[in-house]
Amino acid sequence: MKKELLKVKDLKISYFLDSEVKEAVKGVSFTLYEGETIGIIGESGSGKTSIAMSIMGLLTNAKIEGKIIYDGIKFNTLRQKELNRYRWNEVAIVFQNRLDVLNPVLTIREQIEEVLKKHTMKSKGDIKKRVKELFSMVNLEEKWLSSYAHELSGGMRQKVLIAMALSCNPKLLIIDEPTSSLDVLSKREIINLLKSIQKKNNISMLVISHELPVIQELTTKVEVLYLGHILEEGLTRDLINNPMHVYTRGLINSSCDINVYKELWGISPKINLKSGNGCPFYQRCVQASKECTQKLPRLSYISIERKVACNKGGIVTILETKDLSKAFKSHGSKIYACKNVSINVKAGEVAALIGASGSGKTTTAKIISGFLKSDSGSIYFEGKEIHGCEAMRKIHGIQIIFQDPFSAINGDFTVEKAVKEPLEILNIGSEEERKAMVKKALQDVQMPFDNEGLDIRCNTLSGGERQRISIARSLVMKPKLLIADEITSMLDPSTKANILRLLKGLQNEKGFSMLFITHDLPLARKIADKVYVMNRGSIVEEGNALEIFNKPKCQYTKKLFKECFHMTV
Amino acid sequence: MKKIIIYIRSASPIGKAAFLLLTAIIILSIFGSQLSRYPHDLSSGKSLEAPSKDHKLGTDDLGIDLWAQICNGARISMIISLGVATLACGIGSFIGIISGYKGGIIDYILMRFTDMVIVLPQLPTMIVLGAFFGPSIKNIIIVLSLFSWTRIARITRAKLLTIMEQDYIKIAKGYGASFKYIYLNHIQSQILPIIVLCFIKTTGKAIVAEASLSFLGLGDPTSKSWGLILNRAMDFNGIYFTPYWKWWVASPLIAIVLLVVSISLIGRELENKYDFKM
Repeated sequence: MKKELLKVKDLKISYFLDSEVKEAVKGVSFTLYEGETIGIIGESGSGKTSIAMSIMGLLTNAKIEGKIIYDGIKFNTLRQKELNRYRWNEVAIVFQNRLDVLNPVLTIREQIEEVLKKHTMKSKGDIKKRVKELFSMVNLEEKWLSSYAHELSGGMRQKVLIAMALSCNPKLLIIDEPTSSLDVLSKREIINLLKSIQKKNNISMLVISHELPVIQELTTKVEVLYLGHILEEGLTRDLINNPMHVYTRGLINSSCDINVYKELWGISPKINLKSGNGCPFYQRCVQASKECTQKLPRLSYISIERKVACNKGGIVTILETKDLSKAFKSHGSKIYACKNVSINVKAGEVAALIGASGSGKTTTAKIISGFLKSDSGSIYFEGKEIHGCEAMRKIHGIQIIFQDPFSAINGDFTVEKAVKEPLEILNIGSEEERKAMVKKALQDVQMPFDNEGLDIRCNTLSGGERQRISIARSLVMKPKLLIADEITSMLDPSTKANILRLLKGLQNEKGFSMLFITHDLPLARKIADKVYVMNRGSIVEEGNALEIFNKPKCQYTKKLFKECFHMTV
Repeated sequence: MKKIIIYIRSASPIGKAAFLLLTAIIILSIFGSQLSRYPHDLSSGKSLEAPSKDHKLGTDDLGIDLWAQICNGARISMIISLGVATLACGIGSFIGIISGYKGGIIDYILMRFTDMVIVLPQLPTMIVLGAFFGPSIKNIIIVLSLFSWTRIARITRAKLLTIMEQDYIKIAKGYGASFKYIYLNHIQSQILPIIVLCFIKTTGKAIVAEASLSFLGLGDPTSKSWGLILNRAMDFNGIYFTPYWKWWVASPLIAIVLLVVSISLIGRELENKYDFKM
């Protein structure tokens, strides 16, 4: 059993501002064992630095509730003088690298010596020796010792800060944004340095960063922080490969270090600061329901080593198909267009179904949307089994967009009539409500939505515009899952790019899931979170988009990628 | 009405001329009795009078004014042709739409039935049926319709098959749209021009068919259509040895030709307009 080094329990931090009290951290608990490194990630303003400062007892003008227990000692009840015994000697902090962290009128040597003098009481000779030792530990030349802070580069200053923190051999190192505002080479150097120091001295670290690669390299465990709440906790590698909270996934999707191919989309900012009693994230969550506005989720285990604070137990699965099969008879023999196809699409996820023409992609899409009947297998939408087109016939259901924009929209219809069609057939809303919904949908797809625009006949529109209209027709039903069947294969490159960006933007904003069917691999690589590779009616490979595109395992996928990306796999 | 005027304006000169002619004949058929000075069923002069100031087109062997007969015949020809066209288009488009929309076994049965009707030799069967039912305008309309709907059914079915393959129909069906909705919103506007064209073509054909039935003596003897006038004239012994054919044969013949040509010209005009050939 490892020894508990730091235990934070139900930590609440409120700042006293001029007239109001602002709660920055709202009940955070975690435990750090000896020799372990924990990362805290989150957007700015989520309370990361507040936690670090409260552990060090450096917060003024703030109220700290809860327990911070270091090695059995309650830190937050100690007086400053007592706390000083532990600061630097036991717990040290590497501050966020800014010019003003170091004193501009003292040389680097004087500043490091100051720490040593205060906390170790060694003789002058020892101190000098120790400073040199520290400098070599962080790979800095001694000549910099007599320079001032402003004479050093960002990377060097960071090293000085690390050297200062290490000066008294602490057991716990708190590192706040160690690499932000550093260039790639310095970043790598700092990360390697921290890694080797951690290994050599076996110190525990609490790394605070919004840069995922740093967290990935330095930590074994991560806490995901949002507005003072921990939303997810788990082992770093697991959590980054398979996030279980919508927020974590959003953070990971916004990182260009992890998503080398994909387009970047941040979590949609829909901040209305009145959060009430509900889940702090519900306004931005793609799967929020009424329950989430009222009930604060608790951080609880969903699997071993993984905790999630979500009323729905993490990201829910929107669509699940089990062993779908469909055979067509041709010249007396059976041809399987779809054989035991099992697909999983989670809320807010873009799953790409890729494969050569004739591999059964469209058949699968048609079965899921209900246009074709499968020979066997079942489809579950939001956990309930569905038959035929029933999911298409309800608001918040499944919608499909076809390949050919000219065939998908009746050219004789006006724009309004074309978009309104599902509402009219299903008799949803009054006439005015329908019109408002149509206008909203047209606005979403960036088409004119004034009365003149509504009266345009669809046969006067171009392919790209008609594809927008068919997207609008789907959006008017507010789908939870959108099946896009080769929607860009008939469009020119510029229109294609526009439509895709539009669709992805809408997906990000509205949070629907997408099953994107395409034979265009570069395209799939750009937008997919998850990939299914299909060949001859069956799925030959599936998984995280990055993994599949980087390291395809199946021979067929390898061949496909080799042709497409000219890569040697 | 406005639409029709715009339509005519955009037509070619030949189309305009055809339309004028057709309008003239329609006016003739409606106001026939007012336009002729003499009754169409009583003799009003000497027999076989040549065209003169009094009798513009002369008289027949009974001394009945030919102009009056042509005016009256126009009405009968019109009633028959329009009746046939309406009935044939009704039956044909109904069968075509049902067959194309439903597909499968219904389509198979209806189309084989249509094939059966097409295979029957038209004129002999018409003669037999005409003789069997007896001559009356109603019977003539029914007999002629029986053979005119098949083409219309096939054409509408073909068009419907292409419409049904469109994704927007699949999507509408996916949303659970009824036949009524799909027909009114998606099918009707596309199928209507074709039916109108069929209507016009059938009208032209019905006029000729009625004339030929009457010419063969199977028409209604009490309702003197143009074909019957022609039949009477041709029955006159040695008509070509006399000068009488110049007015007696020529006037109904020219009337028939003018009507049929004007109708088919309008039909062609529409064909060009909608950009399809039949």
